[in-house]
Amino acid sequence: MNARSARPQRTHRSGPRPPSLGSNLWTLAALLVLLGLSAGSALLKLGPFNAVANLGIAAIKALLVLTIFMRLKTDSPLLRIVASAGFAWLAVMIALALADVLTRTPLLVPA
Amino acid sequence: MNARSHPIPEQFDDAVQQREAATLGMWTFLATEILFFGVLFAGYTYCRVLFPDAFAAASRHTDMLLGTLETAVLLTSSCAVALSVREVQLGGRRLATALLAVTAALGISFLVMHGFEYYAEYQEGLVPAIHYTQQGVYARGIEIFYCLYYFITGFHSIHVTIGVVLMCVMGWRTWHRAFDAHYHTPLELTALYWHLVDIVWIFVYPLIYLIGRAG
Repeated sequence: MNARSARPQRTHRSGPRPPSLGSNLWTLAALLVLLGLSAGSALLKLGPFNAVANLGIAAIKALLVLTIFMRLKTDSPLLRIVASAGFAWLAVMIALALADVLTRTPLLVPA
Repeated sequence: MNARSHPIPEQFDDAVQQREAATLGMWTFLATEILFFGVLFAGYTYCRVLFPDAFAAASRHTDMLLGTLETAVLLTSSCAVALSVREVQLGGRRLATALLAVTAALGISFLVMHGFEYYAEYQEGLVPAIHYTQQGVYARGIEIFYCLYYFITGFHSIHVTIGVVLMCVMGWRTWHRAFDAHYHTPLELTALYWHLVDIVWIFVYPLIYLIGRAG
């Protein structure tokens, strides 16, 4: 039997249900507040925690865009796996690059 | 092609499966884009660990106010395109087209602001190999920072330009009723691309503009 006739036609509208207007606008508001926090914290003397704060805020912003705007929260779990795989390989690449540079004898700035 | 007459190709069971396949393909492409920019970020990390002071000095030459504005513009444009997809899913057309136009306009304003930045850096002698006039102990490290800066922001701007063109095409198609609540996969995939370009910039912003600003 033809596969198309064997399976019942799924009739729900293609794609996950759209997030509400409110959740989109709140996400934008949160992103802009985080941007302000990021810029503000960069002006404070926090030593190494400047970099931690900046990258932490960037990661939260990226997660907000991924889950709400890109709808990974409501879409198929398979997409979450593919998206995570991209970032996981990036983490491996940066970790191995750092493992090299951090365990070497320091180089001088090229003159 | 009108959305209502959009046929489901033979290889798919139904429209839902077709959308799932298309979205999976797009996310696979986005994963390769993450790694494309990831190589540049890995290079950046490597050099920043080697020359932390030179990178802080170089970052102070960038325009933090313009960088912050550019970030706000891209975040807002991401929200606009997300709302546009939502509007099409709810059956709207005029507002969806307007939101895509807003997205394209914000993208263009981002590119214009970046153009001003590039011009100011050229005037300041911060363009390696073309017009580089920095002197002093950090001169070589600053040159490396600006090499990475032009590669990262340059490739990002190319992506924004492609995104703006795609937004115009999607706006035109939305206006001509190519999409409706049942079929809007191309619009959805274009929005995903735009969001990824936004995410890349979310990381570019602190790495390029915000180092060594304290004190």
